[in-house]
Amino acid sequence: MTKEGDILKIVREDILRTLGEEETEEVSVDSIKSDINVSDPFISKAIKQLNGEGLIKYHNNFISLTERGKENARDIVKKHRILENYVKETKNGRDAHKVAHILEHYVSKEVIDNIKKLSTLKSAGVPLTELECNGKGIITDIVFSDYGVFERMVSMGIFLGERIRITNEISDSIVVKIGNKKIALNKDIAENIRIYKNERT
Amino acid sequence: MKELKILLIGQPNVGKSSLLNALVGPRVVVSNYPGTTVEITQAEEIFHDVKINFLDTPGIYSISDRSEEEKVTERALFEEEIDGAIIIADATSLERSLYMVFQILEAEIPAIIALNFVEEAEKKGIKIDCEKLEKLLNIPVIPINPLTKRGVSRLVNAILKTCPESLSFARDKLRRRIKEVARRGFKIRYDDHIERAIDKISTQVKGRLPKRLVALRVLEEDEDFYKYLKNEKIIGEAKENLKEHPKIAEDISITRYGTASFIAEKVTRLFSSGKEKLAGERIDNVLLHRVWGPLTTGLFLFAIFGTLLYLGNLIQNVLMGLTDSLLSSFGAAEHSIITVVLVQGLAGLAAGVSIALPYVFLFYLLLGLLEDIGFLSRFIVNTQRFLKKLGLPGKAFIPLALCLGCTAPATRATRLLSSKKEQFHTASLFAFVPCSSRTAIVMGIVGFYGGVRLALSVFVTLFAAGLIWAFGIKRLIHVKSEPLLLELPPYRKPLLKNVFAKSWIRMKDFVYIVIPLLILGGIALGILDMLGFTNIIVKPLSPITTTWLGLPAVSIIPLIFGFLQKDLTGGMLVSVLGGEISSILTPLQIYTFGIASTVGIPCIIALGMLIKEFGFKRAMGLTITSIAYGILFAGLLRRIILFF
Repeated sequence: MTKEGDILKIVREDILRTLGEEETEEVSVDSIKSDINVSDPFISKAIKQLNGEGLIKYHNNFISLTERGKENARDIVKKHRILENYVKETKNGRDAHKVAHILEHYVSKEVIDNIKKLSTLKSAGVPLTELECNGKGIITDIVFSDYGVFERMVSMGIFLGERIRITNEISDSIVVKIGNKKIALNKDIAENIRIYKNERT
Repeated sequence: MKELKILLIGQPNVGKSSLLNALVGPRVVVSNYPGTTVEITQAEEIFHDVKINFLDTPGIYSISDRSEEEKVTERALFEEEIDGAIIIADATSLERSLYMVFQILEAEIPAIIALNFVEEAEKKGIKIDCEKLEKLLNIPVIPINPLTKRGVSRLVNAILKTCPESLSFARDKLRRRIKEVARRGFKIRYDDHIERAIDKISTQVKGRLPKRLVALRVLEEDEDFYKYLKNEKIIGEAKENLKEHPKIAEDISITRYGTASFIAEKVTRLFSSGKEKLAGERIDNVLLHRVWGPLTTGLFLFAIFGTLLYLGNLIQNVLMGLTDSLLSSFGAAEHSIITVVLVQGLAGLAAGVSIALPYVFLFYLLLGLLEDIGFLSRFIVNTQRFLKKLGLPGKAFIPLALCLGCTAPATRATRLLSSKKEQFHTASLFAFVPCSSRTAIVMGIVGFYGGVRLALSVFVTLFAAGLIWAFGIKRLIHVKSEPLLLELPPYRKPLLKNVFAKSWIRMKDFVYIVIPLLILGGIALGILDMLGFTNIIVKPLSPITTTWLGLPAVSIIPLIFGFLQKDLTGGMLVSVLGGEISSILTPLQIYTFGIASTVGIPCIIALGMLIKEFGFKRAMGLTITSIAYGILFAGLLRRIILFF
C-alpha cells in the first residue's frame, strides 16, 4: 500500500462510517466533503471505488449504502464506538471522539480486541504496582502530565492494549516484559501505568 | 568523486555500531549499554566510486529533545546535509523501530530499513515479511546480520540505488532529487484536528526544512528545534492551538505508535518456536533479585577492582623497573635546565604509560566486556536506588565507574546524563572516587609504609567523605533526578574486536590529553623545583600542614604540587622528607596524608576537562572547594582519632 493508497483506505472507511452514522438514507457528496478533511480528488476516487465494489450507490451527487455496504459500515461504526467509549472512560471524555478517530484506522486488531475486553470490564485500571511478581496484565491507560515521559514510554513500546508482565522486583523498581523486551522502571513511574490484571500463570 | 552522507539511526542495543563495523571495518565503538555513544562517530568507505560517509548516532527511541542523545541526533539530522538514513530495526520488536522510521520520513529524508536480529526473532517465533513491509512503506527493507555480514552488500546497493541517476547531478539539483525520493515514502495521516493544525502552521513555515516536519516538531513542543525556525511567530500559533487541544502532542505520538503496530502486525507472522532460550532468564533471576542482585553487583565491582590492583601492580612494577634504569642513566648528569626537562619529562611519560596500560586500558577493557554482554544495565538497576538517595540518576553509575580508571574520560562521560545539574553533581563526586593515580598513592604510600589495613581505612574514609559531600550537595542544589526507565538488553556474546575498539576510544582522551599534560606537568614541576619555588610555600602554609594536619611542614610540597602531576606525589613525599617514610611519619600521619592527598579533584588534567565541560568558574569552584574539604576532613578526623 502506498501513501496514496493509505489515504484512500482511510477516506473509504470514513465515508462508510459517516453513512452508517447518518440518520438519513442519502447523504450529499458535498456534506461528505465538508465532513472529511482531505482534498476532493481523494473523495471522488474513494466514492468511485466504493461504487465499483458495490458497497454504495451513487446517484445525482448523493450517495447511500447498499446492503453489503451497510454490513461493512456497521463494523466500522462498531469499532469506532468501542474506541470512543474506551477513550471516554479512561480520558474523562475529553477529546474522546478525536482519539478514537485516529486509532480506528491504525491500531491492530489484537489491540482493538484487548481494548474491547477492557472497556467492558469494570475492574480495568489498577496501577501496575498492584501486580505481583510474575503477574500478567494488559495496559489500559498511561496517566502522565509530562509529555516527555509519556512519549519516551510510548516509543519504548509501553502502549495501551499491550500485554505486560512483571519479571523481577528490586527495592524501589520493577522489571517488566513487554513483547520481547525487558524494561526496568521506578515504582513511581509504574504507579502511572494502569493495567487490567490477568489471572496468574 | 561523488559523496553521500548517510545517517545510522536506531534504538539502543539494536546493533547500529556493529553494522557500522561491518560496513567500514573495525574503526568504531559498539556497545550493549543504552546510550554510551553520546557523540557522533564517523567513518568513510568507497563503494563503486562513491564515497559514503556514515554518521553513527547514539541509540535513541524517538527523535525529540529530551535527552542529550536525542539532541545530538536531532542536530545531525537537521544541520548536516544528509542524503539518506539507515534505520536499524529490531525484528523482535518491529513496531518500536517503525516509530522512528515515520519520524525520518516526516523529515523528508530517504530511508532504508536494515532489519537486524532476524535469526533471534525466528528463534522466538516471529517472522517478518520484508517484501510486504517494503511495499507498505514504499522504502527498501533489507534483513541484515552484522556478525555474518549478511545483507551488508545489499544494503550498500540500496543506498546507491536510492538516488542512482542523481549522482550525476549538481549538488542543489541532487538535494531536490533526494527530497523527491523521500516524499515517495509512507506518511502518517493524523487525525483531522492535528492535520488542521499542521496545515495552519505549515503555511507560515519558511526555510529549507520540510513544512510538515516543522509544524509537527513545533506542535510537539520540541524546544531544541526552535533554533531552526525562520519564522518564530509559529511558536505562538502552536501555543494558541494548544489551548484548544491541550493533548495534541500525546495524540501525535499515539497515532505514530498506533500506526506502527498496525503496520507491524500486518507483516509479522507468529508461530510457536518450540523452546525459548532460558539461560538469560536464569541469570536475571540472580542479577535482578532483590537480595542477590545488589550483592552480586558489589562482588563484581570488588573483583574488578581487585584484579586491577593485582595485575596493574604486576605490570607497573615491570614498566617502572625499565623506566627507572633509563632515568638513572640521565639522572647522574648535572642539574642543568636541559636535564631537568629531559628527566622530568621522561618521568611524566613513564608515569603516564605505567598507569595507562595496566589500570586505565585494562579497566576499560573489563568494563567494555561487561557492557557488551549486557551486565552493565543490570548493575545500573541494582545501584540506582543507592545513587537516587545521593540525588543521582541511575546512569551516573557509568561515569563514576569510569572514574576508577581516570577522571578525564569520566568527566566526558557525564554527558550521557540528561541535565547539566546532574552532570555537575556527578562530576563533583569524582573528588571521592579514587582514580588509578590516587589508588596508587593509597597503595604505594599508605599501604606500602603503613600496611594494608591502613590503606583500606583510607578507602573507607574516602567513601564516607563522599557520602557526606553528596548529601550536602543534594540539599544545596535540589536536583530532580530523572526517573529510571531503562531497557535491559538480552545477554549477548561480546565481539572482542568491538570491545577493544571501544576501550581504545575511551583511552584516547587519556593518551592524547592526559599523557602530554603529565609530561608538561612533570617538566613544570622540575623547573619550579630547580628555581627553588617549591620551597617558598612551605613556611606561609605551615599552619595548614603542622597545626591543622599535624604533618611536617615540607609535606605541603607533594600536597600542592601533586596537583601538577599526581603520580609524582609519592616520589615527592619521599624526596622532601629525605629518608625512609615509615621512620619519619607515624601511622596516623601517613593516614592523614593519604586522605588529604586523595580527596578532591585530583589534578590539573581533571581540572582542564572540567573547565571544558562546565566552564571556568564552576570547575575552579569545585576544585578549590573539594580540595579544601579534603584538608578540612583529614584534619578533623585526626583530631577525633587523637581524642579517643
